Amino acid sequence: MEILSLLAQGFAIALTPTNLAYGFVGALVGTAIGVLPGLGPPATIALLLPITYGMAPTSAVILLAGIFYGAMYGGSTTSILLNIPGEAASVVTCIDGYQMARQGRAGAALAVSAVGSFVAGTASVVGLMLLAPPLAAFALRFGAPEYTALLVLGLMMVGYLGGGSMTKGLMMAALGLLLGMVGLDPIMGSPRFTYGVFKLSEGFEFVLVAMGLFGIGEVLVNVERSTVPEVLKTRIRGLLASREEWRAAGLPLARGSLLGFFVGVLPGGGAIISSFVSYAIEKKLSRHPERFGQGAIEGVAGPEAANNAAATSSFIPLLTLGIPGNASIALIFAALLIHGIRPGPLLVSEQPAVFWGLIASMYIGNLVLLVLNLPLIRLWVKLLEVPYAILAPFVVVFVLVGAYSVNNSVFDVGTTIAFGAVGYALRKLDFEPAPLVLAMILGPQLEAALRRSLIYSRGDLLVFFERPISAALLAVAVLLLLSPLVRWAFERRAV
Amino acid sequence: MARDGIAALALALLGGAAIHQAGKLPYGMVRNPGPGFVPWWVGVTLLGLSLLLGLQALRARRARGPGRAGAPARAEWRRVAALLAALVLYVVALEPLGYPLSTFLLVLLVLRPASRRALVPALGLAVLAAGGSYALFAVWLKVPLPPGPLLR
Repeated sequence: MEILSLLAQGFAIALTPTNLAYGFVGALVGTAIGVLPGLGPPATIALLLPITYGMAPTSAVILLAGIFYGAMYGGSTTSILLNIPGEAASVVTCIDGYQMARQGRAGAALAVSAVGSFVAGTASVVGLMLLAPPLAAFALRFGAPEYTALLVLGLMMVGYLGGGSMTKGLMMAALGLLLGMVGLDPIMGSPRFTYGVFKLSEGFEFVLVAMGLFGIGEVLVNVERSTVPEVLKTRIRGLLASREEWRAAGLPLARGSLLGFFVGVLPGGGAIISSFVSYAIEKKLSRHPERFGQGAIEGVAGPEAANNAAATSSFIPLLTLGIPGNASIALIFAALLIHGIRPGPLLVSEQPAVFWGLIASMYIGNLVLLVLNLPLIRLWVKLLEVPYAILAPFVVVFVLVGAYSVNNSVFDVGTTIAFGAVGYALRKLDFEPAPLVLAMILGPQLEAALRRSLIYSRGDLLVFFERPISAALLAVAVLLLLSPLVRWAFERRAV
Repeated sequence: MARDGIAALALALLGGAAIHQAGKLPYGMVRNPGPGFVPWWVGVTLLGLSLLLGLQALRARRARGPGRAGAPARAEWRRVAALLAALVLYVVALEPLGYPLSTFLLVLLVLRPASRRALVPALGLAVLAAGGSYALFAVWLKVPLPPGPLLR
């Protein structure tokens, strides 16, 4: 029962007044930005990152993690009441959630989604707690070739699962790798792509790039559209679902939690995909698939459980392998690095306070979120009445001050704005910025692992295929790469 | 899609530039790769993928016939360009004018056309944003923001 004593220590850390307060603030801010469309978790985490510099590392992670999983709760509220997804992960919730609201069952939909989020989130923390330590112990056996293969597979999956075209996802990954190379070479320390600019010899500061791409970039995209969301004037009568509704929601909830947990572990997978897959599965399994789209409670329960479970389980690759699977987790990775903590297989054993403190805070956070979301729903809906035109300047000011405070430098503010313009252009051209930031943060690791492997094997590329783990990982990567070709061939034959 | 064509072209140029620039760095050998080794290969990958995207865009166009890309309307473009210009001006003005004054002007600029609000509420919000953030960051959190001639 070693795990229980470790967890008890975690709770001792998470329940100190400071950490409890940060956990609460994280959950609160997370819900708020989850409710607000046009301000996503990566942008918010990037905004708050500079503020966490002065905190203890555990507090910083508790706060930022709270924002991330808190947003999953808040996102469903606007989906149900306004037919506007607050987050990409709650797009599917709109389909049946909004129909339920129009039929006067908004309360039931909100209750099922909040309770479902709580159940799934908590179950996923249990899974994280039980799986992460053994997985980290396993990953300790990885050498440079295994890491190279793992990182290649990770980037490939982000490109593949990241939504949109695989070609574009991989292009963003390549661009991110190039950006990550600006600065000093990770093995010999010679400058690359710095063109004599002294500021560039340390490379692009990851936080600035993220704040630009997500913070400024999102504002620019939102300024372009000027539609004001119209609040559906339904009164939320009672927040309790009927017994039949709970019964109908039960199994979808359980399936969604399980599905979300496993999909969330995959880099690039996570909350968005798991919610879509869950919706498709529930529709297929249902005896009345025709009710989907007309306000089926199963279509709310499954996806909402899945996105919460996935948000939590996406911490597993970060905490065990040092590989962030999505943009928000990449920012938490950056926050840990800033505090001198290297996420990876050694984190669980060398930084037990961070790991167990975070786990305990997630149990508490989910409970806080349940309490915050159910009774305060009206308050969150009020938040939507703040016009974006007023919100935008505050976001911009926050980003600019944050960018300045990283190194107290005006040059950095300029860098952030430049990346904001890049982020806007990428969105307009239908590119996802997530693979870019992931590749940028993983690039130096990948390059160091690759070059070490080659030095170790004296240039023999077979080293990656002779070792079973790296061979298996690379085989999956090759399969992923070939899958569009296979599909293309099949489609041609069908024609 | 015309947009994919533009993106493919731009990123292909970038990939080509990366290959060219990485070529100036020591490549080393496969048994001991130098600083130029990985950048060169990443550049090649980016170039290859861009060409693939370009091909896909051409094929899609042939299938669908030439159509107009969904470019944003002129008024929307103008708003984005105005905000970007304001941000660039902000960087230039930050040191000489100081944080409170330049932030006030920025918020006013961003707020006015977007909200079509009366001047007085916009002024009030701009003062609030500039003053409030200065108090929060510079006074409380001790971020050494440039004070400018107003507060010096």
